[in-house]
Amino acid sequence: MAELRRDPVTGRWVIIGNEKEIKLEDFEVEKHEKKGGICPFCPGNEAMTPPEIIAHREGGSLPNTPGWLTRVVPNKFPALQIEGDLNKRGIGIYDMSNGIGAHEVIIETPDHNREIADLYDHEVERIIWCYRNRSIDLRGDKRFKYILIFKNYGRSAGASLEHPHSQLIALPIVPKRVQEELRGSQRYFEYRERCVFCDMIRQEVQDGKRIVAENKHFLAFTPFVSCFPFEFWIIPKEHESDFSYIQKDEVVSFASILREMLKRTKVVLHDPSYNFIIHTSPLVDIEREDYHWHLEFMPKLTRLAGFEWGTGFYINPMDSSLAAKYLREAKI
Amino acid sequence: MPELRRDPIIGRWIIISTERAKRPNDFVSSQESPPEGECPFCEGREEKTPPEIFAFRKPNTVKDKPGWEVRVVPSIAPILRIEGNLNRHGVGMYDVMNGIGAHEVVIETPQHIANMADLPEEQIVKVFLAYIERIIDLGRDMRFKYVLVFKNYGWIAGGGRVKHSRSQLMAMPVNPKRVKEELLGAKNYFEFKDRCIFCDIIRQELDSGERIIMDSDGIIAFAPFASRFPFETWIIPKHHSADFINLKRQEVFELAKVVKQVLLKIKKALNDPPYNYIIHTAPFRIPKKPGYWKTLDEDYHWHIEIIPRLTRVAGFEWGSGFYINPTPPEEAAKYLRELDIS
Repeated sequence: MAELRRDPVTGRWVIIGNEKEIKLEDFEVEKHEKKGGICPFCPGNEAMTPPEIIAHREGGSLPNTPGWLTRVVPNKFPALQIEGDLNKRGIGIYDMSNGIGAHEVIIETPDHNREIADLYDHEVERIIWCYRNRSIDLRGDKRFKYILIFKNYGRSAGASLEHPHSQLIALPIVPKRVQEELRGSQRYFEYRERCVFCDMIRQEVQDGKRIVAENKHFLAFTPFVSCFPFEFWIIPKEHESDFSYIQKDEVVSFASILREMLKRTKVVLHDPSYNFIIHTSPLVDIEREDYHWHLEFMPKLTRLAGFEWGTGFYINPMDSSLAAKYLREAKI
Repeated sequence: MPELRRDPIIGRWIIISTERAKRPNDFVSSQESPPEGECPFCEGREEKTPPEIFAFRKPNTVKDKPGWEVRVVPSIAPILRIEGNLNRHGVGMYDVMNGIGAHEVVIETPQHIANMADLPEEQIVKVFLAYIERIIDLGRDMRFKYVLVFKNYGWIAGGGRVKHSRSQLMAMPVNPKRVKEELLGAKNYFEFKDRCIFCDIIRQELDSGERIIMDSDGIIAFAPFASRFPFETWIIPKHHSADFINLKRQEVFELAKVVKQVLLKIKKALNDPPYNYIIHTAPFRIPKKPGYWKTLDEDYHWHIEIIPRLTRVAGFEWGSGFYINPTPPEEAAKYLRELDIS
């Protein structure tokens, strides 16, 4: 019998699993064929992107020339524009504002063919530093309320370029899904005076069966209420509401567990397309007792249909403890 | 300059990215799909599906035999099951219940036609009448709070291997989140203004006209101000009504006509794209509960949402609830409005 499970944070119900055990071959995995051609993110083509904002560089190389290890540039086709005022206004019953924001691309490595799963830990650490440094810098701009850091890997996950990269969008509003999460955790806190995520961590550690990896500062698990098969979260074990204040040894720990989890997923699911998103508190908040930052990872294995669109009600054919078992047992 | 627009009902913000505006020809409709097997939905293969629940039939034909016009059967692979108790319980801090519900398939034609757009209007009328019959019947089951009627056309949109026009019905023991949001948004607006937000939207859309796709006697089709997706289209009755099931016969004819024309326009404009449509209607009421949502009949307004699947929206949008739409709805509406389908 399939089960309905309720997300303790947002209250969303998810339909999970059914009697027949799902086989890994049942998932459609997109092939990643490299198209070749000229890549604007490869070393030597620096002039093809807007001028870089920051970069990790080897001794003495100049901005916008080769010699970089990670490189952050403005998106050439930004969804939002950095200059201008919001000019919030109403048109009859509708509300709108100008599309002000920052849209940046983090080029993760000069190597066109190595995804995060294939990098060394110290290389992944540089990517995390880029996320952190850009977050800290953009906080200073009072027009922005939220910074969304995410990665689309593979065409069906929304990536248009194949060179390994992630993205950052600074927004003048707090996105809906984030607001829901904040409201849910706030309500839980009012009721119990505890962080709902801390409670989840405690229960997951106790149950054990959905935990995939753990290191000094982080825990990786497949949540009890997973919307997608093989969804996983990486969460700091200590209560921490804001990603941008991540400390030096936490960066080491985070990079290592992220790389390990991506590697495990790659092995088990044969290199699926995926998205990951860092969920963190809005910029105006200093330290929230009720919110806990984390990374959510979703492989692109199922096709979302009218049912999910209409209801916000997800159907996940796989029990998350089974996904955790596969991931734990992967040979990496 | 890109614009941020706020959905007036549920408060979701959308980026309308005018800088990289896309026109119909910029989208490559993907109809790639695995090979089609033998169709279990065609007339003459009735034994390939579970026994029928309901059908419109020609006189003197019998159940589970040829002679039907629209046929409703249980899903072969139901996601929710009809038998059993909900058995709500907690697992530590988590809440769980059994997956009880009904999952039915409405086979829209005895012929092997893929797209509803290509069915005759009379046939679409029967499909809508079948929805109404089934929703009313399922509403008698006290375990159910909501019936979702939806359609997945094309592989990308979640359609199956078999290309035979059909829609699905899912009766659920809980009100789904997205539905609740919409209901709450409408309720809040009503408390504030004492008017239905959808009626206000209709009035404003008719006034400005720039997002109208079709304006029939009692129904309009328009591209919503805060469209999440390129060519997203809503079809809504001008006359206030909370429940799809209260449609009068005459209104069903008009609705079938508008739906067919909108689907044909989308098919022609975007080269037969995959799409989803969803009927948004009020949940079942529980009259026994005192004070239970007394204004629902006044504050909610049923409608159909059609979403062509053109962009590769993925986990990112799902995870963040944040949509970037590269086609301003005014342009989409103008294009569809002016498109000649005769």
